[in-house]
Amino acid sequence: MIIAERKPFDEIKTMLKDYKKVLTVGCGTCVAVCLAGGEKEVAILNAELNMARKIDGNPIELGATTLERQCDMEFLDELENVVDEYDALLSMACGAGVQFLAERYPNKPVFPAVNTTCIGANKGVGWYEEKCRSCGNCVLGYTGGICPVTMCAKGLYNGPCGGTDRGKCEISQDQPCAWFLIHERLAAQGRLDLIMEFQPITAWQNQKPRTLVQPGYEKKKEAG
Amino acid sequence: MTDMKHTDMEEINIATDVLVLGGGLTGIKAASEIAGSGYKVILVEKDAELGGRKGPGTLVGLKEESKGLQDLEDKIKTDSNVEILTQASLVSAAGVTGDFTARLLKGAEVIEQNVGAIVVATEFATGALNEKYGLSLADNVLTQSRMDELLASESDKEKFANKTVAFLVSLGQEGNPLVLERGLRSVLALQEIDGCDAYIYAGDLKVASNGLERMYKESREKGAVYFKLTEKPEIVENGKTISFFDSVARRNIEISPDFIVVEEEMCANHLNEELAEILRINVGPSGFLQSDNVHFFPVRSNREGIFVAGSTREISSLPSAWTDVENIAIEVKDLLGDGKKIVAKNKAVVNEDKCVICLTCYRCCPHGAIYWGDKKAIISPVACQGCGICASECPMDAIQVGGFEDEDMTEKVKSGVVSGNGTPRLLAFCCQNSAFEAGEMADMFKMPLPEGLRMIKVPCAGKIDLDYILNAFVAGADGILVMACHPGNCKSENGNTFAQWRVNDAYRMMEEVGLEKDRLCFVGTASNMGSGFSSIVVDMEKRINELGLSPLK
Repeated sequence: MIIAERKPFDEIKTMLKDYKKVLTVGCGTCVAVCLAGGEKEVAILNAELNMARKIDGNPIELGATTLERQCDMEFLDELENVVDEYDALLSMACGAGVQFLAERYPNKPVFPAVNTTCIGANKGVGWYEEKCRSCGNCVLGYTGGICPVTMCAKGLYNGPCGGTDRGKCEISQDQPCAWFLIHERLAAQGRLDLIMEFQPITAWQNQKPRTLVQPGYEKKKEAG
Repeated sequence: MTDMKHTDMEEINIATDVLVLGGGLTGIKAASEIAGSGYKVILVEKDAELGGRKGPGTLVGLKEESKGLQDLEDKIKTDSNVEILTQASLVSAAGVTGDFTARLLKGAEVIEQNVGAIVVATEFATGALNEKYGLSLADNVLTQSRMDELLASESDKEKFANKTVAFLVSLGQEGNPLVLERGLRSVLALQEIDGCDAYIYAGDLKVASNGLERMYKESREKGAVYFKLTEKPEIVENGKTISFFDSVARRNIEISPDFIVVEEEMCANHLNEELAEILRINVGPSGFLQSDNVHFFPVRSNREGIFVAGSTREISSLPSAWTDVENIAIEVKDLLGDGKKIVAKNKAVVNEDKCVICLTCYRCCPHGAIYWGDKKAIISPVACQGCGICASECPMDAIQVGGFEDEDMTEKVKSGVVSGNGTPRLLAFCCQNSAFEAGEMADMFKMPLPEGLRMIKVPCAGKIDLDYILNAFVAGADGILVMACHPGNCKSENGNTFAQWRVNDAYRMMEEVGLEKDRLCFVGTASNMGSGFSSIVVDMEKRINELGLSPLK
């Protein structure tokens, strides 16, 4: 899932300083699961803003709602009747949600309340680890299920480099060498031949926004 | 915990089979007792034979008892209510009390069992302490366990005829009555052998256990010689001679024993840690399966329906392990009954529309009462203790605890912020197990209490949401107290810790918004602290008076 963290409070406060009536919009999917932008966090952020603005002598009126997902227009439609009551929208969704919300209500200033961190996995309550850089060219089948793009400091598709140091990466003793781990796992599974297979270089596609249409949905897209 | 009169109840069916882990003497007794109450028992032992360490520390010198134990083992082997799985181990245990799904591995076969309760009955392990005395194990230097084995065999026993045996007890470790008991049983058994003399070199003789004083006296009357020492005696050539300076006789006392028996340390079974992880129960000091918490009844774990017996939870002699087992049999009967249970419908309710199955509640529940289905988290009404930690941690406010619903609590926070003629508006969130009772006591005994103080009762400090605290400030509270139980004294194990974490989080936020941190205070209390409560809240009022009223009002 997408992992996010709340922005520093001062930054949020500064963004909203000129607005008197703001709707805080939580998102009930990834950011709720990673404890950054669900209903609870909406309530906490609003309480904090309320206090700060009162103390500053510049009270703010805040609304609260949490949508199922902000990355689906249908759910954003649910705000249609209330948006006009507010001067601005404060989205607690990931970057995708914030942009979609801004796109759906182009006349309203939309502000992000969280920083989108990464695609990651849950290691414990409130504890996440980046697992995927969405490179668009998954090699996990060759690498024993360990992503070299995320784990390797150089993002090498073919490794290790000369900087591997007894299981650690040359950048830090706290950073395991991805290719060392890949070697260990493939060796344990008797699939070490895979490491010799050359992976072609990737044309880095994330220079411009990527779009994806799932196979089977192309026709539907064309038909609108 | 919930008010029965105003609570909808429902009847649910629960599984009544019971899983007993450990086929030692404690486990055998547990199987026998529980099967005796009419429940089907699955007894799981990792070794090929039941009985575990039958000799050590418990049986030597007790012919009557050992016959009884054999009879008991034979009895459960023929009991149709007891299914025995040897060379088997627990792989996983999903679900909650009344509906555990235990997966057991026996050879290559995986056996799945649906059980209502689980009893952990591992025996203690022993460790040789010969090195503490500078001794190496040899034909003449025996561990207590080896001695027990020899004495259990009629032919081996004879080798002690006309010999001198020296025992080293509680000089290599802090003594324990059971360590002494093992030694005493050996001494008494040796005294039945012709011409065998026993000398006991001991530090503190810990006799605080049933019958120990009697055994000690009996052995003395029969001629055992005790040397009570403050330090280890001098031992030469791996036990050829033992000597020490007797300060009363003012001379060196030297003996050349034929055998030396060295005490053993007794420790938690090495299986405990793995079992604790599978069963999601807490590990206490030194690897025993119960954390230090005054609220736990002796045989209970932090999870409803999982019980810990005898040496699983502390070093226990056989009689005390069996007392545990008898208590467990009563608890099991109380819990499982006839397989039908009346439970409160609203103890903790998950809103399916809001739940995103983020697993936060599952991970935070100290009682292991939560699991999940296709669409939402599921809270077992039998296992749930109603502490509300899950509800306060839920990122979607999807869990509501009966009697403490968010809507009501929000209203209570708002209406609780009242001024008594310009005095500070103080709000105290009080755990019902400690601070709330202390507060009521203070009120009843007319102890000084601030005029503007209102108490808000919570089922556990773990149910004090961060937004309750923040919104109380928004509503104009001048000071807020979060009153939890003392550390290590929370009925829900870590509800007070969660509350403390949230208060720390609130401090960070108060700093961000520019509100004085002194307006919020976390305190540990106990239910009998009436005057303590009074002085805490009076101090708080003083502190607020110095700060002035809240800038938020």
